[in-house]
Amino acid sequence: MDSGPSFSPMLRSGNRFDQEAAHRPILSFEQVHKAYRSDAPVLRGMNLSIQRGEFVFFTGPSGAGKSTLLRLLYAAETVDAGRILFMGREVGRLRPESIPFLRRNIGVVFQDFKLVMNWSVAENVAMPLEVLGLPERLIRTRIGEALERVGLGGRGSDVVATLSGGEQQRVAVARAIVGEPALVLADEPTGNLDPQLAVDILGLFEDIHSTGVTVLFATHDRSLLDVRPRRVIVLQDGKAIDAPNGLDGDIEDELRVA
Amino acid sequence: MTSLQRAWRGGKNDWRLHVLSIFSVAVAFVCLAAALLVVVNVDGLRDRWARAGRASIYFKIETTEAQVRAIENAVRAAEGVTDVRYVSSDEARREVLGRGDQVLAALPAAAFPASLEVMVDEGTEGGKLATLASRVSALPQVESVETYQDWTERLASVLTSGVTASLVLAFVVLGAVVSVVASTIRLALQRRRIEVEVLKLVGATDSYVRRPFVVEGAAQGGIGALLALILLAVLYGIVRENLGGELGVLVGMQPVFLPWTFMISMVALGSLLGAVAAWGSLRRLLVV
Ligand SMILES: Nc1ncnc2c1ncn2[C@@H]1O[C@H](COP(=O)(O)OP(=O)(O)O)[C@@H](O)[C@H]1O
Ligand SMILES: [Mg+2]
Repeated sequence: MDSGPSFSPMLRSGNRFDQEAAHRPILSFEQVHKAYRSDAPVLRGMNLSIQRGEFVFFTGPSGAGKSTLLRLLYAAETVDAGRILFMGREVGRLRPESIPFLRRNIGVVFQDFKLVMNWSVAENVAMPLEVLGLPERLIRTRIGEALERVGLGGRGSDVVATLSGGEQQRVAVARAIVGEPALVLADEPTGNLDPQLAVDILGLFEDIHSTGVTVLFATHDRSLLDVRPRRVIVLQDGKAIDAPNGLDGDIEDELRVA
Repeated sequence: MTSLQRAWRGGKNDWRLHVLSIFSVAVAFVCLAAALLVVVNVDGLRDRWARAGRASIYFKIETTEAQVRAIENAVRAAEGVTDVRYVSSDEARREVLGRGDQVLAALPAAAFPASLEVMVDEGTEGGKLATLASRVSALPQVESVETYQDWTERLASVLTSGVTASLVLAFVVLGAVVSVVASTIRLALQRRRIEVEVLKLVGATDSYVRRPFVVEGAAQGGIGALLALILLAVLYGIVRENLGGELGVLVGMQPVFLPWTFMISMVALGSLLGAVAAWGSLRRLLVV
């Protein structure tokens, strides 16, 4: 349906092996600065490098800039200085008509789900595929697969508004992965869910990660960080600090204050 | 899923909004179509009157019937004349008496001169009636010749002002349709902002997001115009049923409805305006 400048060859996770690319980081931030107001900078010279296939937690108190960082990635915001490279391309320098092609390589899940409530589950999950103009039959098959993966097999015709919060978030996850993006971003996806559901949803992202997808998971819920040992990046003073062995005491204190 | 299907899905959920918009568009178009209907009929009338000229030749009182008959024969032979009817002084008087007007009936016979009613087919080049009138009025027996020219002229001026009024109305309708559809689409966009936000998030191009809204705008404009035409046709049918016959006899022409080309153009204009309005209202709102 749509033709135009492609961001890059569509990367479908796991079915493509490029010796060169495998060693290059999928994502890197170089001296990234971002401020909404000049007196309150959010990111101040942030550096970060993420390898293909990593699972990374982003944490930090509310207002630390987790959402901002993710929004910069899918080009909903632009950097003030520095650059973000995604699959070798500089995100901040994409022409507006190329941005949709960037976003087709990224799946995003939000705290507030962002589902169309009066549509069916299948209609919501279909959106990324319909944008690509895939044939109806293929779309139906892939929706079925995605719903199976999030544990909602056979629920495609349910109206989203009738589902529980946990189920709705599963629908949002299915929508994020149905296009088989190389990168999945989660912005406090468990913020609206009770603790047990939060762990279930985290499990979903672990499953997604196990298929080779790079996952960035932003959360200020530190109990989730302990579920499994993962790379944890703390946003602090506008910079990204790696906490390779879990959280150290100082940062833990700061989180507790937040 | 095509843009049409997406437009249908969106429109179905907000059908009340769309119905309201379609009715508003229809009201605007009814005004325009009614004005056009009047213009079309007045134009037809003027055309007919201009082509089929009429003249009444009035004779002086002392003119004898033989003289009148001679002139009648001469007129009958003139170019373009299709019919000549002789109205004697008595007949003219009886016609007036038949109407029961007592004041006029008291007038002397001299007040009712004999006359010839002449019908002229002007054909394509015209001017035949004027030539005939000037020749006949030079005859010593003829008192005066009435060609009803001022009536045709008056009709022409009615037509000119009608066309001007319709043009002004067309611009008003243009503005009304654009603003109604634009605000409806803005509202629809507002109600579907999650859908739009997600579409942009999953990599929809601007035109992909916009297309169903433009289709909805075009549908509102087009359906509104169509509805207006149907409404007007029904009204026209009722009026024609009730007094069309007499009106036709009176003015010498049956009323006509808008030609097909007008109707198709009006629906096309509605769709185009709706689409343009929708496109315009989305231009500023689709940012992220
Ligand atoms: N659109 C915006 N306009 C102005 N300020 C913003 C905007 N979005 C976020 N901020 C500010 O930027 C800072 C970082 O916000 P955010 O990235 O949402 O943090 P987090 O997701 O870690 O809670 C906050 O102080 C917030 O108030
Ligand atoms: Mg946030």
